[in-house]
Amino acid sequence: MNNYSLALNVQQRPEVLERVLRVVRHRGFKVANLSMQLNSNNSTSIDMLVHSEREIGLLTNQINKLIDVIDCRVLLSSPTAELVQQKG
Amino acid sequence: MEAGQMIRGADAVIKAIAAHGVTTVFGYPGGAIMPIYDALYGSPVEHLLSRHEQGAAFAAVGYARASGQTGVCFATSGPGATNLVTSLADALLDSVPVVAITGQVSTAVIGTDAFQEVDVLGMSLSCTKHSFMVTHVDELVPTLYKAFEIAASGRPGPVLVDIPKDVQIAMLEYKTPLQAVTQEPEHTPEQINDARELISQAKQPMLYVGGGVGMASAVDQLRDFIKVTGIPSVATLKGLGSITIDTPGYLGMLGMHGSKAANLAVQECDLLIVVGARFDDRVTGRLASFAENAKVIHLDIDAAELGKLRLPEVAIAGDLRQILPALTQNLGEQFAPWQAKVAQMKQEFQWRYDRPGELIYAPAMLNRLAHKLPQDSVVACDVGQHQMWVAQHMFFNRPEDHLSSAGLGTMGFGLPAAIGAKVARPDACVVVVSGDGSFMMNVQELTTIKRKRLPVKILLVDNQKLGMVKQWQQLFFEERYSETDLSDNPDFVKMASAFDIPGRNIYKACDVEAGLDEMLNSQGPFLLHVSIDDAHNVWPLVPPGASNQDMMEEMDKQT
Repeated sequence: MNNYSLALNVQQRPEVLERVLRVVRHRGFKVANLSMQLNSNNSTSIDMLVHSEREIGLLTNQINKLIDVIDCRVLLSSPTAELVQQKG
Repeated sequence: MEAGQMIRGADAVIKAIAAHGVTTVFGYPGGAIMPIYDALYGSPVEHLLSRHEQGAAFAAVGYARASGQTGVCFATSGPGATNLVTSLADALLDSVPVVAITGQVSTAVIGTDAFQEVDVLGMSLSCTKHSFMVTHVDELVPTLYKAFEIAASGRPGPVLVDIPKDVQIAMLEYKTPLQAVTQEPEHTPEQINDARELISQAKQPMLYVGGGVGMASAVDQLRDFIKVTGIPSVATLKGLGSITIDTPGYLGMLGMHGSKAANLAVQECDLLIVVGARFDDRVTGRLASFAENAKVIHLDIDAAELGKLRLPEVAIAGDLRQILPALTQNLGEQFAPWQAKVAQMKQEFQWRYDRPGELIYAPAMLNRLAHKLPQDSVVACDVGQHQMWVAQHMFFNRPEDHLSSAGLGTMGFGLPAAIGAKVARPDACVVVVSGDGSFMMNVQELTTIKRKRLPVKILLVDNQKLGMVKQWQQLFFEERYSETDLSDNPDFVKMASAFDIPGRNIYKACDVEAGLDEMLNSQGPFLLHVSIDDAHNVWPLVPPGASNQDMMEEMDKQT
């Protein structure tokens, strides 16, 4: 099982957390820890610890496709650190 | 309209739709969408009344797929909206641009379990590319514009806009929003060089062409690429029509029900060039042994598909209309031995239609139909054995001439999709090929045909079975035919006649020619009901979990 720490910056919309969590679940990842903060610039920060047998790229690629997601970064991952994804 | 003039939200909805070039929408009215239907009344936007919201959304899908334009459908709150789910999921899996507009109960009562209230936004999360609920009338027009932009840009898909009733009747000043500039991924010169290099090093390259080519309007670029490079090719179900059957080295469909030549050649290739396709399990068979010795170049608009199932040597996200010409190079006679080998496979494993007996052999009939269709034709398929026979034995000039529910495999797709296609391309000859199981799933749309006298031709292939499931029961479930007998089907020709649609039954191979001619030459809609031998199955078949070279071949038996 691999653990990954994700930092997301997303648009402030009522359903955005639900959108992100749906993708996390559907793509085979489990949320171990979660915190969320509304920012003053109409964005929201979501920090998540997820774990899965799967590679994190499968998840971050799909999260990055969500229209409301501004960017999604992998801060820490074990054991594969080179899979850091960033939305351009 | 004069500056400062106020209009209702509902009128703004119609105006925004018309501004996107949509001339016909498909839908079904109800309480929470009544203001929008009121605005529709007398507006320049035409409306086609379906008899089930699923049919309306499939018609929008058919309209979009046959024309390349975004399809639009309307439904009311609650049951109207829930009925859209299947069609939207279908559009999502096949990347079809659709905008679905649903009425919602008024904002004041949202969350109170009001009459016909459902959390449509929540429901839409897994069956759309994106979705919106408009909670204030000021957001209405910008949201609609954004919805159209999202539906058609990048990898296209369905977008849902849920509009509460009070927003529909609130007043606003209509202003055309600034068009968003979509940032598409761009390829780099290094990626192009790497891909060109791999191609120039290859001895046995193969193109694996998916639906993305048609969606990107890159058919001409693909055909140029094939012509110049001489690289042999195969297509997925959605890729059919991207390459014409007379193209040298083109082996037809690959995968579970692909041609033997296509599957064997892909397994032998040393370079697989994947164009607008995504390694679907119906295509790859056992993924670990799919084109095992090949390097991979993967081209797609959706970066999330690159490396999702197979790690490519070169991955390029971007517009195929630019990438394909950049990769086109003439390598002379380099591929000649491979081309010869592929040509020999094509010859050796070609389809045969010379089947003895009186009964109708569907593959032969469909092949005859393909030869009889005029140049500008659309074939909308349903789902099942007949769908695979269409894919194997018919041929198409362009991908938009073949509408088939590929990713979701949705029974009931064919009839409403054909209705949408006929609306989008009124001059085209539109044929639905359906099965007795699939046809019943949206049979109510015969009324839509009746209402508009749409000259849609229906070829109903009937084996009185849920054929594809029966085939699997026969092969993989010890011939335990659980609930796949449909011998209590209605009299389909009599049923069509209840909708003022003429038809006829044929039972024998010798009646096929006259039957097809009567259907195609009839002026209005027509139903040709074809009873086929229920022993026929779809061959070849790659069993689940097997590698594509391990195809099962013809072993039909009477059930």
